[in-house]
Amino acid sequence: MSGEFNVQTEIRDNTFLIRTEGYINNTAGERISKLFSENSASEIKNAIFDLEKSKVINSIGISYLLEVIELLNERNGKIIFVNLDPSIEKTFKIMGLFQFAQVSESLDAAMQQLA
Amino acid sequence: MEKNHLVEKLSLQAESFQEGFRILEKSDTLEEIVNNFRHLLRVNLVITNLHLLYKSSKDSQWICIGSSKFDESETAFLGNHDLLISYFSGQKYNAAVVLPLSDSSYLGILLGNKLDGSPLNDFDKITLQILLQVFSSAYESFLSQKKEKKLIFDLNEKILQLNNLIDTGIEISRFENQGVLFELALARIVTLTNASAALINIYDNESAEPKQQIVFPEVIPPVEIQGSPYKIESTFEFNKKKYTFIISGKETRKGLTDFNELDQLLLDAIARQVQAAIENNFLLKASLEKERIEKELLLAASIQQRIIPDKLPVIDGYDLAGKNIPSREVGGDYYDCIDLGNGRYALIIADVAGKGISAALLVNTLNAALYSYLEFNLPVTEMADKLNKLIFNSSPPDKFITFFIAVLDSKTGELDIVNAGHNPILLLRKDGKLNKIDAGGIGLGMLDLGIPYQGENLVINPGDKLFFYTDGIPEAMNNEEVEYSDERMIDFFLKNADKSASEFIDRIVADVNFYVKGAPQSDDITSMLLKRIG
Repeated sequence: MSGEFNVQTEIRDNTFLIRTEGYINNTAGERISKLFSENSASEIKNAIFDLEKSKVINSIGISYLLEVIELLNERNGKIIFVNLDPSIEKTFKIMGLFQFAQVSESLDAAMQQLA
Repeated sequence: MEKNHLVEKLSLQAESFQEGFRILEKSDTLEEIVNNFRHLLRVNLVITNLHLLYKSSKDSQWICIGSSKFDESETAFLGNHDLLISYFSGQKYNAAVVLPLSDSSYLGILLGNKLDGSPLNDFDKITLQILLQVFSSAYESFLSQKKEKKLIFDLNEKILQLNNLIDTGIEISRFENQGVLFELALARIVTLTNASAALINIYDNESAEPKQQIVFPEVIPPVEIQGSPYKIESTFEFNKKKYTFIISGKETRKGLTDFNELDQLLLDAIARQVQAAIENNFLLKASLEKERIEKELLLAASIQQRIIPDKLPVIDGYDLAGKNIPSREVGGDYYDCIDLGNGRYALIIADVAGKGISAALLVNTLNAALYSYLEFNLPVTEMADKLNKLIFNSSPPDKFITFFIAVLDSKTGELDIVNAGHNPILLLRKDGKLNKIDAGGIGLGMLDLGIPYQGENLVINPGDKLFFYTDGIPEAMNNEEVEYSDERMIDFFLKNADKSASEFIDRIVADVNFYVKGAPQSDDITSMLLKRIG
């Protein structure tokens, strides 16, 4: 079950890493979007979203993720989602996120993909 | 400026206008398109003091976009007019523009001096007009793209909702654990409706307070969800419990709002799916229990049928037949005729109180003990005492056996008899006199008070008949719940006693069946007839 929403960010090798925990809804989406704007300077082209501890997302949360994806696409960057719950992976597929983003099994695999 | 020169200059700038349009229409946000337009104006008109403002409708306030130093009082330059462009001379601004946009919003522009301090010339004014057209078209394209994106997003969202609903139905039906089932239902309903939180209240009977509350996300207090001004509910009842599903706070990018009819339908659909899962689980358990009972009954029936003899021994000078018709619920009737050697036979009939496997096992115990005691050639009264102790010690208080045994010396016709609480056995003499044999004592296993059983010695003579039966015959019931009765049974015995033993047994069973007319019987029907013929 989901508790309070938490998010952690990190810049590693010019890649923006973001780990979420809990329900990704409007509030959570706003936090993610704000953190991304504040922390991703123009040289940051890639982002990895680790959603291992987020099992539920609504369409408002998805709309914020789409904005981040669009921004990085304009920079010709890449977005990779890792540790996706099967239901969230299916949700992203239906919402068309994988047209502009990729999915990877683990953080290490994602970092290798970007290297 | 000559007309030809003006046309030539504008032609040269056409490409620049087209490029400007492409940049504007690619903008992702309002701020971006306005800032891009500012850049376009500045480059084409070489203006130093330039402010762009926006208002979402005619009556709303102007908002300055992209300029940090702007005195709001200067919006007065834009006036309250419908004119597109106003030109001023000798003032801070050379021109003010109010541009109505296709979505009923407005773009306001305040243009200051040119870099060289000169006022706007004809070429600048025409350029401004063209740029306003460019912005207007680009803004319309920007809105269309936004609308198209939103349409695609909404369409995908609807597909997602449908998909989620189908998946949820499948997933929910898999869960036996109600805790997991409820958590899954809550997670799915918040996704489907964009709810901030969800709650299931489970009430017992008519209680006002919920016995159990399941919340998503767990950190939200249930009272907050119940007290939300934006909430909808769906309720169902099953098995004396009430389940109320509540979702609160429909989320949008602009804040919370009311749920719509589709949300209510989705909530109802999820609640119905949970209800179906709970009902199915309940029915599955009931079905498994029924299956278990049926297996037990089959086992009981097989135990009983192993004990009931396939055929009775042929006794020289006697005609003997017997039959057991098991009821739907396996009972504990038992009959047998055991060859003891030297022309001696033990004729037994018994009925265990109760049904099912426990009754069948008790008959099994009786049968095993009986064979053992008969080997030692014990007197029937002593045998009854021992059987009483054994059954009393090996069965629960509500279980006992009515039991009748007659040990026959076939050569002399002497009978040693004990009736332990069984229905009276009927002895019909050749002369038509009927005796009811009930001497003995209480049913086996009822009490162990040490009171000895009383036996009886009789002689069965040629032409005499001894009829053994269990209460399944007189107590057989028709659809009007009227019993076959002792009277009808005795009457039938008297009228048909001259038939062969097997014919009599078949006929009395047929008469009972005729009487009950297919009404299901709760007890076995067992009977045995011994006739001395020579």
